[in-house]
Amino acid sequence: MRIIFILSILVLSVGSSLAEEPSKGEKLFALHVKPLFAEKCNACHGDEPEKLKGEFDMRTRETILAGGDYYGEEVLLPGQGEESFLYILTKRTEEDYEMPPKEADQLSEEQRWWIRDWINEGAPWLDDERVAFIQKEYAEGVQVVTSKALSDDWQNRRYESEKLWAYRPLVVEAVPGGAHPVDHFIEKPLREAELDPAPSASPIELARRLSFGLTGLPPEPKQVDAFASAYRKDEGAAVEDFVRTLMATPQYGEHFARQWLDVTRYADTAGFANDYTRPNAWRYRDYVVRAFNDDKPYPEFVKEQLAGDEINPDDPEHLVATGFLRMGPWEQTGMSVFRETRQQWLDDVTDATGQVFLAHAMQCAKCHDHKFDPLPTRDYYRMMSVFSTTQFADREAPFLERENRDWFDASDQWVQAKVASYEEQKKALNGKVAKQKKEESGDAKVGDNGLDPGDEASLARMTKNISRHQWEYDRTRPIAFSVYTGNTIEVKSVGDRIMMPKAGPWKRGELESAAILAGGNAFSPTDPVTPGALSAAESLGEMGEFSFPDGKGKRRLALAEWIVNQKNPLTARVLVNRIWAWHFGKGLAANPNNFGGTGGIPTHPELLDYLADWFMKDGSSIKRLNELILTSETYRRSSIHPDPKRLSEKDPKAVLYAAFAPRRLTAEEIRDAMLSASGELSDRVGGIPARPDVNVEVAFQPRQIMGGTASVYEPDPLPEQRNRRSLYAEKIRGLRDPFYETFNQPGPDNSCELRETSTVAPQALTLFNSEEVLERAIALASRVIGETGDSEEAVQRAFRLSLGRHASEAELAACLAHWEQATIEESGKTYPAKTFATEIERTVMAEKTGEPYDFVEHVPAYRAYEPDLHPGAVDPETRGLAQVCLVLFNLNEFSYLD
Amino acid sequence: MKRNSSHQFATPARRDFLYGMGAGLGSVALTSMLRGSAFGSTLKTVHHPAKAKRCIFLMMEGGPSHIDTFDPKPELVKRHLQKFTRSGKEESAMSSGDRYFVKSPFDFIKAGKSGADICTEWEHLKNQVDEICFFRGAQVESVNHPTACYQLNTGNRFGGDPGVGSWVTYGLGTENENLPGFVVLPRASYPQGGAANWSNGFLPAEFQGTPLRPEGSPILDLSPPKGVSRERQRKNLDLLSSLNQQHLESRAGRGDLEARMSSYELAYRMQMEVPGVLDLEGEDKRTLESYGIGDSKTDAFGRKCLLARRLVEKGVRFVQAYAGNWDSHDYIQRAHGSLIKSVDKPIAGLLKDLKERGMLEDTLVVWCGEFGRTPDNGLRGGGQSYGRDHNAKAMTMWFAGGGVKAGHTIGATDEIGAEAVECVHHIRDVHVTLLHLLGLDDNRLSYYHAGRYKQLSQFGGTVIDDLIA
Repeated sequence: MRIIFILSILVLSVGSSLAEEPSKGEKLFALHVKPLFAEKCNACHGDEPEKLKGEFDMRTRETILAGGDYYGEEVLLPGQGEESFLYILTKRTEEDYEMPPKEADQLSEEQRWWIRDWINEGAPWLDDERVAFIQKEYAEGVQVVTSKALSDDWQNRRYESEKLWAYRPLVVEAVPGGAHPVDHFIEKPLREAELDPAPSASPIELARRLSFGLTGLPPEPKQVDAFASAYRKDEGAAVEDFVRTLMATPQYGEHFARQWLDVTRYADTAGFANDYTRPNAWRYRDYVVRAFNDDKPYPEFVKEQLAGDEINPDDPEHLVATGFLRMGPWEQTGMSVFRETRQQWLDDVTDATGQVFLAHAMQCAKCHDHKFDPLPTRDYYRMMSVFSTTQFADREAPFLERENRDWFDASDQWVQAKVASYEEQKKALNGKVAKQKKEESGDAKVGDNGLDPGDEASLARMTKNISRHQWEYDRTRPIAFSVYTGNTIEVKSVGDRIMMPKAGPWKRGELESAAILAGGNAFSPTDPVTPGALSAAESLGEMGEFSFPDGKGKRRLALAEWIVNQKNPLTARVLVNRIWAWHFGKGLAANPNNFGGTGGIPTHPELLDYLADWFMKDGSSIKRLNELILTSETYRRSSIHPDPKRLSEKDPKAVLYAAFAPRRLTAEEIRDAMLSASGELSDRVGGIPARPDVNVEVAFQPRQIMGGTASVYEPDPLPEQRNRRSLYAEKIRGLRDPFYETFNQPGPDNSCELRETSTVAPQALTLFNSEEVLERAIALASRVIGETGDSEEAVQRAFRLSLGRHASEAELAACLAHWEQATIEESGKTYPAKTFATEIERTVMAEKTGEPYDFVEHVPAYRAYEPDLHPGAVDPETRGLAQVCLVLFNLNEFSYLD
Repeated sequence: MKRNSSHQFATPARRDFLYGMGAGLGSVALTSMLRGSAFGSTLKTVHHPAKAKRCIFLMMEGGPSHIDTFDPKPELVKRHLQKFTRSGKEESAMSSGDRYFVKSPFDFIKAGKSGADICTEWEHLKNQVDEICFFRGAQVESVNHPTACYQLNTGNRFGGDPGVGSWVTYGLGTENENLPGFVVLPRASYPQGGAANWSNGFLPAEFQGTPLRPEGSPILDLSPPKGVSRERQRKNLDLLSSLNQQHLESRAGRGDLEARMSSYELAYRMQMEVPGVLDLEGEDKRTLESYGIGDSKTDAFGRKCLLARRLVEKGVRFVQAYAGNWDSHDYIQRAHGSLIKSVDKPIAGLLKDLKERGMLEDTLVVWCGEFGRTPDNGLRGGGQSYGRDHNAKAMTMWFAGGGVKAGHTIGATDEIGAEAVECVHHIRDVHVTLLHLLGLDDNRLSYYHAGRYKQLSQFGGTVIDDLIA
């Protein structure tokens, strides 16, 4: 039998001359089966001949016929597809022999049938030349010109045309005169689905939707009234007016900055073992707020963040903007290998730049050519090499007039108090050593140095915390968390401000070369590369080839200019899709950070392209883009569709925008909305990170860092310092505020394209039981009692401040009764005045003994701490109403936006 | 061997997750509630028959020394205090420079029928070694605590990914809807890298590890604030519920709103249930004693071990208990000596207790740190101190119960314990094996996120067959 099969191969491959019309089996092999084997099978069955899985080799027809160690000749029975195990195993029904083994790699039915049909056709095998000929003449799908792949197979592979949408030039359809472009493109598929859209939302719903959507805050009752009366006269004009009014407030920039900072992963600390402060990161946060408030044209926004220092190093704003490049978690300790941490940052910034500006997760191409997208590994390293001459520096950058310098003195004084208390304790300990110190023996017994093991650990802890706090002095100094272009200088560890090299950027260190790294390993360079970007965007997008500077040139500026080039097919689409997603809760393309083949294909490609084109031609103004989107009828729709059954039949995936998708507020919006309703929210913009109250058990919990235990978290002493917008709350990577975390605030380590919402019981525990929320309820109760004349008015005012609307009669009655009853309960109670300890005792483990020891830490913030309004500070009536207010804060209606 | 549909881990279509079957702490058993039933058992199907149904993971944070616990190195006695110098661009500053070898200060014996190597400090555990499979082949990639902890706990050195317990709970669900599926028993001070060590990462929030804090409120805000009585709280809940109900009436079919309403009732019940689980009063004296509870040396970890048993008994799927800090760069005799004492009796007590209750056969117990330690030390403070630095290339982990090859030692390190040389496996293979023992296939336990299917092993791994009975 074997001999006959081998003969038939010879006949099949020799017998067909190149130009000859291929048979069905030959076409199946060349176009489908061979590439499928290469993609799905050969990694285990041929690419590494010495490491064949199951001793089964798929490199030749003969070896396939021979089978492996479990299945033999039944693997391939030419002519009998259904009986051949090469086909059967792909059905994944044979226990332990599901092929390919990874669920994620499983073959589609169509792919399985290719194998079956090819076997039915006699399983012909062709030489490479014939395969190439057939592929060239008969292949479907699209080839893409890219820089250069690691393998020829990849270079020549074909893509489903529709998955390449993002690389193609924009296709802009005209919009009939008088039509609103958004409605024009949304309407067509709705008509085709024979689905009527929902009517307009009520003015109150819309006022809340617009206010949260543009500022992240609830509207003031008087704003709601004004909007409602204007809306009844002229919906369109009222919306347009309100949108402009809202975008003219500084809160607009704050809210949009919060969303942008999700994407760029803002935090005030560096993460990992030391979780050192980043004392000047806040200036980047405020730069982003200013950029949105000033409506900085998007290309400038991109260029400043990527290359501000290369554009204008004398402008502080340009230096501050480049904080973007350093937003990822990063540290260099005495234990780290410099080359590895350097590479870690290069990888981080390459991936971040790809995701943020180009919707490309670059990391997928770091070790191999991208599995699905036309992104060869070479492109990854070309883009990485743009950053090879980028170096960290905390540069001199005078404060701008507009930067908020409130509480600088308070910050310095707190740091000083903290350091002083440690110094004092340290001095006492050192005094003890001086008295008791013995000769250190060869056997190095604990205690020989005169210190008890706990003292010894304390000394290390204090020394470490002193140096940590001293870095915090930089919070108030005119320094930018920034970069420069220059040689790479090896450093041992970073625990303090990074200065510019005194001798200039190119004197010390070496000009870093870049190469493709085998397996992504910093110590395995292969082919050298020079700077570049996504070659598929250049070819498919018809941008033409760009030349990037090398050597000492301004590489990042070149990349930034490549990104904002009007012919770049990705950039404007990525931006308008993000903005759309911020307004509607989902992108026109589903994954704002991933425009590749595995991300969602646009539901309304014509609209996306129209908006992208309009945006660029209109001057790349995000405010104007907001206005265009928000003045559409599509945005104005009610979240309640009159015919929900028909809606779910006709639009099961909810992609047609027949009704507005309701959303839960984000963690930050929930807190800010409570502070806004209670009247406690500060409207100051920007400044050094605020330290609001966090759950005190978490605040005082010891937290290990390299060499000891970090100082506890201390809130700012004054209510107006603490009750700032959540955007300004200090973001400590190693100590997340449990309130935000519970309500799905993403961790700051990875770029977050869109918030997720999940409903878990700890949210209820926090909103219902925490002291922080109860205090907001007390403040709201106190506020409405002070602002109104009678109980009914007070309840109504509380409803309006928290929900934007009046209470119904039934609600009013229920709340009044609740209030009355709670007041009776509260009447007999007394609450002791709040007191705050200025030192706390804690117990941690001493490394050197493996035994616990106690120490005292001073918490100077509590020396002058002024509490918020709390139960002990108000009368029983207020406490009673606070129980009603607490319920209001917990309502679905409070947290969900129609 | 019939297997169930392999399509149970589908692509999530929406960003808003509503939890139905297999819900964990604080998640809402919406599906069952809409059907009017209570919070029943919601066991998901496994990929293959499971050897273990639950896991207790004893995390020896800081990096316990294999050389001074379970992997004796007589060669180090010969080389004790021999000096040498190490350098190179790829070396960490910690392992370069002037070095000298350090012998173990402890004596070793061959214990049990299996003759397992164990140092004599383990007075209690030495009687349990026949239940244990020691593994000397594991390696990680980092010698820094947070990155190594992240890798051990989540598979990803840089953090941000779901913990092993999250994956297991995602795969298996929980058996008790009023308790979390994945519970962490941390020390009062959290490890380096913080709560990201038990993060749900990109998995939905219900799979997050819930720390039961050893001090203060075990779960944050578990009780009403001062001055708010349970009765008052109930009345508030009733008002909340009636106002929410009116809001819901015009919003038919809004499962998210209904789920949120239910979450308040669940939270209310948790307030009752959790303190009961934590209360060890009901345990008999002999049990408490066997865990070392009441003895100041062993009380803290004894409580964690007993609590772990109580939690898995109640249907919690994955419990991770922290002990430490094992980072003994100096004075290893004293530091490791007292640490071993603090966990020895509790761990032996746990193994015995599980066995007596017939639970050991389907409970997987894992013991490990984030890395092992070096056979040599640097000059610390200019002088010698008998301690050890971090070692990513060699460590000892051990497994007991749930289908492991009890009474065996698998793999080996070189003659000085510097590097694993036999049955060498990256930590990802340990993860894959752990899932395998729990009936889960790493390749099929995947989750679609940001445009690709992600899995615990990151890119796939191998089951370590040698560890499996």
